[in-house]
Amino acid sequence: MSRYIATHAIRGANAIVQEAEELLERTLKEKGPDTAVAFPNTAYYLPFILGMTGTEISKIGELPPILEHAKKLLSPVPTDSRWLPYLGETLDCGMATLFAEEIIMALKFVTGEQPEKLPGLQLAGSTSFTSPDNGGGPNGNGYLNGPIDDIQLRSWGIQLVDGRMPGFAAIVGAAKSNEVAVKIVRELQRRSILTFLIGSSNGKSIIHQLMEEGVELGYDTFTVPFGTDTESAIYPLGFATRSALTFGGMKGGQAKEILRYNKERVFAFVLALGEVDDLKYATAAGAINFGFPVIADTVIPEILPTGVTTYEHVISMPFNEIEGADDLERAEKLVQKCIEIRGVKVTIAEVPVPVPYGSAFEGEVVRRADMRVEFGGKNSRAVEYLFMDEMDNVDDGKIELIGPDFEDVEEGGAIDLGILVKVAGRKMEKDFEPVLERQIHYFINGASGIQHIGQRDIAWIRISKGATEKGFNLKHFGDILHTRFHSDFGSIVDKVEVTIITDPDMHAEWLEKARAAFNERNVRMGAMTDESVDEFYSCTLCQSFAPDHLCVISPERLGLCGAYNWLDCKASKQINPTGPNQPIKKGTEIDAEKGYFQGVNEFVQVASHGAVQEVSMYSIMENPMTACGCFECIAMVIPEANGIMIVSREDSSMTPAGMTFSTLAGVAGGGLQTPGVMGHGKFYISSGKFILPDGGLKRVVWMSSILKEQMAEQLKAIAEREGEPDLLDKIADETICTDVEGVVKHVTEKNHPALSMPPLM
Amino acid sequence: MTVETPKEAWTGTVREVTLGATADQGGTRSRTLTVGAESTLPFLHFEASIPNPPALALEIRDRKPDDWSPLLYEAWGDVMDDPAAWAKAAEEAGADLVYLVLSLTTSDGSPNTVENVRAVVRKVLDATGLPLAVIGAGQAEVDNELLVAAAEEGKGERLLLGLCEEKNYRTIVATAMANEHLVQSRTPMDVNLAKQLVILINDMGMPLERIVMDPTTGALGYGIEYGYSVMERLRLAALQGDKMTQQPMIVTPGEECWKVKEAKVGEGVPETWGDWEPRAIAWEGITAAALLHSGANVVVLRHPENMRRTRSMIDELMSSKAAG
Repeated sequence: MSRYIATHAIRGANAIVQEAEELLERTLKEKGPDTAVAFPNTAYYLPFILGMTGTEISKIGELPPILEHAKKLLSPVPTDSRWLPYLGETLDCGMATLFAEEIIMALKFVTGEQPEKLPGLQLAGSTSFTSPDNGGGPNGNGYLNGPIDDIQLRSWGIQLVDGRMPGFAAIVGAAKSNEVAVKIVRELQRRSILTFLIGSSNGKSIIHQLMEEGVELGYDTFTVPFGTDTESAIYPLGFATRSALTFGGMKGGQAKEILRYNKERVFAFVLALGEVDDLKYATAAGAINFGFPVIADTVIPEILPTGVTTYEHVISMPFNEIEGADDLERAEKLVQKCIEIRGVKVTIAEVPVPVPYGSAFEGEVVRRADMRVEFGGKNSRAVEYLFMDEMDNVDDGKIELIGPDFEDVEEGGAIDLGILVKVAGRKMEKDFEPVLERQIHYFINGASGIQHIGQRDIAWIRISKGATEKGFNLKHFGDILHTRFHSDFGSIVDKVEVTIITDPDMHAEWLEKARAAFNERNVRMGAMTDESVDEFYSCTLCQSFAPDHLCVISPERLGLCGAYNWLDCKASKQINPTGPNQPIKKGTEIDAEKGYFQGVNEFVQVASHGAVQEVSMYSIMENPMTACGCFECIAMVIPEANGIMIVSREDSSMTPAGMTFSTLAGVAGGGLQTPGVMGHGKFYISSGKFILPDGGLKRVVWMSSILKEQMAEQLKAIAEREGEPDLLDKIADETICTDVEGVVKHVTEKNHPALSMPPLM
Repeated sequence: MTVETPKEAWTGTVREVTLGATADQGGTRSRTLTVGAESTLPFLHFEASIPNPPALALEIRDRKPDDWSPLLYEAWGDVMDDPAAWAKAAEEAGADLVYLVLSLTTSDGSPNTVENVRAVVRKVLDATGLPLAVIGAGQAEVDNELLVAAAEEGKGERLLLGLCEEKNYRTIVATAMANEHLVQSRTPMDVNLAKQLVILINDMGMPLERIVMDPTTGALGYGIEYGYSVMERLRLAALQGDKMTQQPMIVTPGEECWKVKEAKVGEGVPETWGDWEPRAIAWEGITAAALLHSGANVVVLRHPENMRRTRSMIDELMSSKAAG
């Protein structure tokens, strides 16, 4: 906590509470204790006081105890010799300030000084004031809005709760120029962020600035001018309090719950423009209690440690030091920063491309004859690479094409292409890079007339003549990726920037960089073992048709469908916290080789509804993991050869078990534990934990040839490590035999290691 | 020889949920409807207590529907032209709950409006003292506008608002919270999805005592066994103590059955199917009966005759309580 801020906030709080006391005394004397006191058109009395204390104030005479309460929250201004106040004291002073401000504003309604007069102001939609003293008109002609009424609270509240409105901004003070003021408000409006206008700086308010520029203010334009004094900041905070009471099901007096509700659900922030005085510091301290961070465009000390607010508490962003070509660009960046600090999520609905877009087009094939241009494949190279960077280094929504587009490429021709996606996010982790990168395939495929195959540096993309005629160009890849990453991965990713490269030099340079990164990822994935983590993940996605099945997914055993590995699950948990991928604490290790863990057993018992009591993570013979029916491979014991066979989903031929894959699937699926039979993901075969207690890869006596081909490299490496460099030759496949006798003959001839291993059964 | 009846000692209980509010409770209903609270499978009175019988709702529309079976037009007659009269007729037919479904358009084909919905809700509330459900037309954008109006018009009545679906629930839940109503969550026949949506709605701050869960059903011959099995598993999980599956269940056999051929078509079907009217009514009635056995706490019907038949079945199954 900054001592400087604490000092100013505490001083401001003491002053405003004293002012409230004087005003209260005076008004009590003049009007008497039974005079009614209320904000117009609300059923929540004085809402901040109601929310924090549960007291329903309706008469002036009921205010003194509230003032006493505020006084108790005050602390003395820190002396020069004292170095350790502060956070607690400052926050309490912030609360005292808000009590004082609400008392002051309520009394000013009694004396007719609220809502504030502002000649010439016409609001487009506002709180109506029934008292003739308060302007008389329903539309507050010549008056600022004052507190928001209950009707508008409900209307906006619903939109804030259901997410149509991302949040609200309370702007305090005045912008550097009228032009900047307008830009800031437009930037907020563009994102449907509700904008509340408060206070002044050097005698000028942003409200004056917007009026001078003819900006229409009022409910209808999502901009509410509360007042030109700092005290009117109590109105938006009263609005925040009421939204917790209305939509959070809270009762008056549940102060802690109301403040927490606002922190967690109301995405609001304070933007302080211009000089920050004591009262503004004190009020800001009040706002921080709600979890609303404060961003100032002047030099003030920052409060970075997080806790009360979700991220930083106070950020200083001196306007003139913001990078930008002119003030307008600086204003835009300032707003962007506010949004980041509060973690406001902005959603984009439609994918802005000139061709139809949707998952229905994912499987579409673009044939050579229909093709306008291709990238990758035989005649060129395409690479796609997603990586994360610091928040400040990513320019959200920027899509750049380096090199020429494809209009000069001959019809049916090919050029090199690079798609670089740079992302940043509060919850982004380096480990999520490959998870997100693999989405590029699905996202790009969603566009009609575009075909995408592969990933990384073996990507292969075709654009059809039809799509080209509709105006599809390379930058549209960027539009697609920007939109989809925000809409599908918004909980991880806050910013997305896309660079499309066709320039040969740049392409070569980035291909190199990407390959180095891919290599690094491979090494990292390879080094990631089940021992290196405390948590595995569940996947219950398939319980819709196999009600008692679940996959337990560990770094060394991916889901049996092949679509979810441990990192995917980790990311999925971030995106969908209540979804099918939940962390499973390993707990006590019961048997390392077989892969029995206390925590896994307990989780499986519950999630399988009691159907499975124990599960071995690695054995096919003892309590093997169950399967739904989506497995990439089925492993099954062949007792005669003292080994196992592995059939791929892509192999339709007969197997030595006397059954084809589809018949075997009936035996392996359905969520039952059948020792000797197991469904699994393809890449589990190359895992160091593949049927570890049963002998690993050396147990495999028969394997669909397609697996041998697809995984040739990995399998060879394992075979060498196991001291059996010719293992792959010793393993039979459907081109060699499809019956048990054939397998026995083959393994005997080749002297397969399984023959000399301990009996499986 | 005496045979000991095996009893399961369940640890969980279905959550008790009350729809509607009387004058004392801030509404204007003449009675409320309480469902749930059982700690055993349907009608197994010997095992544990079943304090509330399953309830029956009748579906009405804010205007005469264009595509209902002629048999239903015949059964209801002129009241279909006026939602208030229809609601009253539903009450007279013995419903526990009036299930008002909004239409996308008004009868002249123009889009339904907030004003119209307010007027209809008001009229129906005035015409019947039963608790009321107000259900959207099924298009997210339209529903979010119309249901907010309905919720405000019925503030304090503890209406049941729906349908909350995975892709569109936040607005409905928000307006239900702001106006003291309940919500119906609907998920497509999946235990985990049903549970997840309840969690998501509850996460928004909606108390579990105000959520009724619709796991979706199919008509007899059109996937009922799948729906049945999902409901059965949800209920077993609830009784085993899984808190987020303990919501009472509501299902809509009326809507499902009256769109299948067996109920809809009177001519050009095999003679062995028998007479149209008894067949059609039986289709809805038998579907409803099956769903009650899989744990449904509220079934929504369309034909008044099935109100009578289903009620008599429930009465009989509940009266064995004493014999238990």
